[in-house]
This record gives sequence, C-alpha cells and structure tokens, in this order.
Amino acid sequence: MTLQQTSMPALPRPARRRDRQRFWQEVAMIAPAVLLLAIFLITPFLLSFWTAMTNQPLVPRPTPVRFVGLLNFQRVFTDPLFWTSLWNVTRFTAWVLPVQCGLAFLTALLLHQKLPMQNLLRGMFFLPAITSMVVVCVIWGTLFQYPSGPLNQIVGFLSGGTIQPIDWLGDPSWAMFSIVLLSAWQAYGFQMIIYLAGLQGIPEELYDAARIDGASALRRFWHVTMPGLRPTHVFVLVITTIQAFKLYTQVAILTQGGPKESTETVVHYMVRAGFEEQKLGYASAVSVILFVIVLLIALLQRKLLRRFDV
Amino acid sequence: MSDLVLSQPAPLAIPRGNSKTGLRIVQTVCIFMIALVMISPLFMLLIASLKDDRFRILADMGSFRAFWVSDPTLSNYREIANFSGELAYGRYLFNSLVILVVTVVSGLIINSMAGFVLAWGSLRGKAILLALVVALYVIPQESIIMPLVVMMSRAGLTDTFAVQILPWVASPLYVFLFYQFFAQLPKELYEAAEMDGASAFRIYRSIFIPLSLPALATVSILMGIESWNQYLWPTLVTQTDYARPIAVAIATFFGQDSIYWDRAMAASVLMMIPVLILYLAFQRWFVSSFVGSAVKG
Repeated sequence: MTLQQTSMPALPRPARRRDRQRFWQEVAMIAPAVLLLAIFLITPFLLSFWTAMTNQPLVPRPTPVRFVGLLNFQRVFTDPLFWTSLWNVTRFTAWVLPVQCGLAFLTALLLHQKLPMQNLLRGMFFLPAITSMVVVCVIWGTLFQYPSGPLNQIVGFLSGGTIQPIDWLGDPSWAMFSIVLLSAWQAYGFQMIIYLAGLQGIPEELYDAARIDGASALRRFWHVTMPGLRPTHVFVLVITTIQAFKLYTQVAILTQGGPKESTETVVHYMVRAGFEEQKLGYASAVSVILFVIVLLIALLQRKLLRRFDV
Repeated sequence: MSDLVLSQPAPLAIPRGNSKTGLRIVQTVCIFMIALVMISPLFMLLIASLKDDRFRILADMGSFRAFWVSDPTLSNYREIANFSGELAYGRYLFNSLVILVVTVVSGLIINSMAGFVLAWGSLRGKAILLALVVALYVIPQESIIMPLVVMMSRAGLTDTFAVQILPWVASPLYVFLFYQFFAQLPKELYEAAEMDGASAFRIYRSIFIPLSLPALATVSILMGIESWNQYLWPTLVTQTDYARPIAVAIATFFGQDSIYWDRAMAASVLMMIPVLILYLAFQRWFVSSFVGSAVKG
C-alpha cells in the first residue's frame, strides 16, 4: 500500500516530508543488520569461492598468491581421506536420524497431553539440549571409559557378563556409534520442541470427528496425527540431516577423527587442512563443497514440502 | 500459553473410562521415570563435581554411588574459581557471560528492527531483501569461517571480545523469525499508530516490541544457547586467556589432562548454570512461539 503512496505526486507537502523522514528512519533501522550481514556473512562467503581457486596459505608468505583454477577441487576429490570423511558423516546421519528424531517424536507424544507439572517435565526433557557440547563430551567421555566405565558396567550387568567391555571411543567399529549416542542425547530436545509445536497445530476438531466415527486411538494416530505432522517431519528430518553433516565438536574433543579415521568428518577435515596444514585455499574448497551439500539438502526440503502440498 | 497447551486433550490419551485417574497417575510416574533416566548423566555430573577424590569419582561411576555423595565438598569449585593463573575458570566464565549478554542484547535490537522494516516498512527493495535473507539462511557457519578467520586476523581482531560477538549478532534466521512474527500482527495496529502521526521507530518501539515477548524470548533462548556453546569459532580466534570462553577452556583442559575429571566436572556444572537460568526465565513463551515460526520456515 505504502509503495504507491510514495510515488504519488498529488500528496500534500507535509505528507511527503513525513514519507521522506520515514524512509530514512527505515533505512537507519535496517542498516545495522544489512551492514553486519554484508561484512560477516556475504563477504566471507564470496571470498571462500575465490580463495578456493587460489593456493593461498593461512599465513601470508613472500611468494605471491596464485590463481590455480579448480586444482584444489581436483585434489580434494582425489583424496581418499575426503571420501572417508564424507562416508563417515553419511553413516553418522543414517544412524543419528532415526535415533534422534525417534527420541524427539516419542518424547513429544508423551508430553503432549494433560500432565501435572507440565513445564517441569518439559524442562527436564529439554535439559540436554541446553547443555554445551563440550560439557556433553566431559560427561560421555566419562561414561565411555574403557574397560570399567559406567556404560560398560551397565552392558556387563544386563548381559550377565557375557558381553566383553567395549572400547567405545577407541574401537574403530564402535567409535562413530558412540558419537551418535551422545549427539542424539544432546540434540533431541530441539526436535522435541518442534514436534510439540506441530502436535499443537493439529486442530482438535479432527480428533473429535474421528472419535465420533468410532476410530480407535491407534487409528486416530495413523489417520489424524501422522498426516497432520507431515510438514513437521520433513522439517525435522532436514534440519537434523544438515546438522549431522556439520558434525565437528564432539569428534574434535573426543576422538580427533580417530581411531583409524573412523570418525573423521568433513568439517574436521576442513579445519585440519586449513589450520594444521595451513592450506587455506584447499580448506576453502572443502567449505564450498560443504555449502553445496547443505544447499542440496535444503532444496530437497523445499521439493518435499511442495510435494506434500503444504 | 502453557495453559492453552494444558487445555488441549491428548491425541494419544487413554480412552475415557472409569480407571482414568488411576491410569493417569501411572502414566505420569512413568513419564517422570523416563525423564529422570534422560537427565541422569547430568545428575551424575553434578554429584561427581562434589566429590573430592578424582579416583573415587571414576570408581564410583559404575555403581549407584555415582548418584550419591555422602560428604559433598566444594573444593573442586574452589580450585577453579580463579581470575588468573592456570585454572582461571572465573575469568573464562566471565568472558562467556560478556559475550553472551552483548550478543543477545544487540542481536535482539538489530534483528528485530530489520524484521520490523521487512514486515511493515515501505522501502522499495523490501521484497528482494527478504528473499536475500531467506537465501542467506542456507549458508552454514562452517563454510564461511575459513576466509572469516583471515579477515579477522588482518583486521587485528584476534583474541578480542569483538571477534567473538560481531560476526554472530545479525543472523538471517532471527531477522526472519522477527519478520514472521511482526507480519502476523494485525494491520490495524500499524495503521492506527501511523494515523496518529507516530514515526516508524516509535511504532516499532512502543507498539510492536511490547507485543512481541514470545518472539523476543524465543530468539533470546536460541541466540543465548548458540553463543554460549560456540566452540569451533573461538578455538580459531582466541590464543590467550584474555577473551577465551569457558567452552574452549574446558575442552583444552579436558583433552590435555584427562585425569582431572573432578575439575572438568566442576567447570562443566558452572557452565550449565547461566543457560539454565536463561531457559527458566523465558521458557513460558518458548514452545508457543515456536508454533508459528519454525515449521513454516
């Protein structure tokens, strides 16, 4: 509406002055965000594409920086360790999706009903989500102690001593699974909140109608709750996938990508290339690839949401 | 809003019948038990931090004693509560708090102002800016940090508070959340105020902000947690104690000398307290405002 107003010549003078005043006020209000985003998001983002095509080192050297075209990308794609890291995050995603989202969905279903001390319960389930990953690593690093840490004691007790203690973080075939466990525990709270919001968004009339038609609780769940949650499912799965592909902190603190590169991830690989080997151009190439992966997942979400007609 | 949640019957509720109350009690107890299991690692952390002997902490871990301490002591906390020296956790905690408060307060102001203009302003490029904000949201922090570290060190900002605050104050996600929240408020609010001759900033400050407690609470919690838990970025841009946040301090300490469980655990408990307070302060509005914002994004 206001767009036409500003371009209308017939307006009396005070109105026009007020329009100008409003224009500058709005510019002033939006400028801080625009400036900060331009400096700290858009500039480094564009720079990363440029840097990825140079041989720039982390610390400036006397030799001039050369443009090398797509050489860095070629090197990344021919490095077996990069493919290992990509495969590892894919494995991680495949495990963490059902565990984390399943946990979030189940706890949301539990909490979405009349309960005494609703807020306390919700807060308790949400508590791990506000726990810093560093703290989570301190806790789970202790739980994972080999051979006589708490988790091994529990496993030994439950199996009556038939299962040998597991070297959770030191055994290449277990390390990634251990990372999955602690990651799912730390992060399910947010997805739980999103599911709770989704459940609240389903109109109560639908349940009433189903009840009148004599649908059982199970049928109501399948034919009312699940379809109503479709957009929520898509959203939760996508953000969890994106989060999973950016796996870094847990691995950096607990395993440093080991043992035998079984927990090496794309971001950890990138940070190592950039800051340990100081190959900034090469690391930027990895960061561009990471962006493309995240972009593809986000586009997939959009497509899925459109398919579901929401 | 929590009342609203309470007033909604459950989709999975037990069929109505005579045994309803009995079932409900059993059900509630079960949910409490599950909740206790989920947070038992945190409880264990708290208990362990109150034990003096680091070897006993490990030995106790495998039994029920992990959840019990007969002679609680604050000695671990006393050892790390320094503002200088090797275990300057007081200082790290303070650093993190400064970064958190400045980031969240300035972030609330800057992102909400931008969201307001995108929702109600009359700027001509509005639609393009909004599309740009949505597009920028896709860029992950991890894929810009390489050039950003170089930019920051060239600007001489390494090892400062500013380098840990400035890049994360404005965020496409929060601008968008505010935009979405403001846009769904009734048009009459804006028009009536405009008729009365109120300026854009006046309308924003005196009418829209007082109405947006849920959005402010949600963004505070999200930004607060995000800022508090930053790890990768501060490891890259801090080298000395001066501005080192507590997350980085715990991680280095924990990695170097994993024998000092006791101190790492006390520091971890300290690290949990501020975000816990933040969550408790704002949780009333948290779930409700997520309804509108998250899923449609």
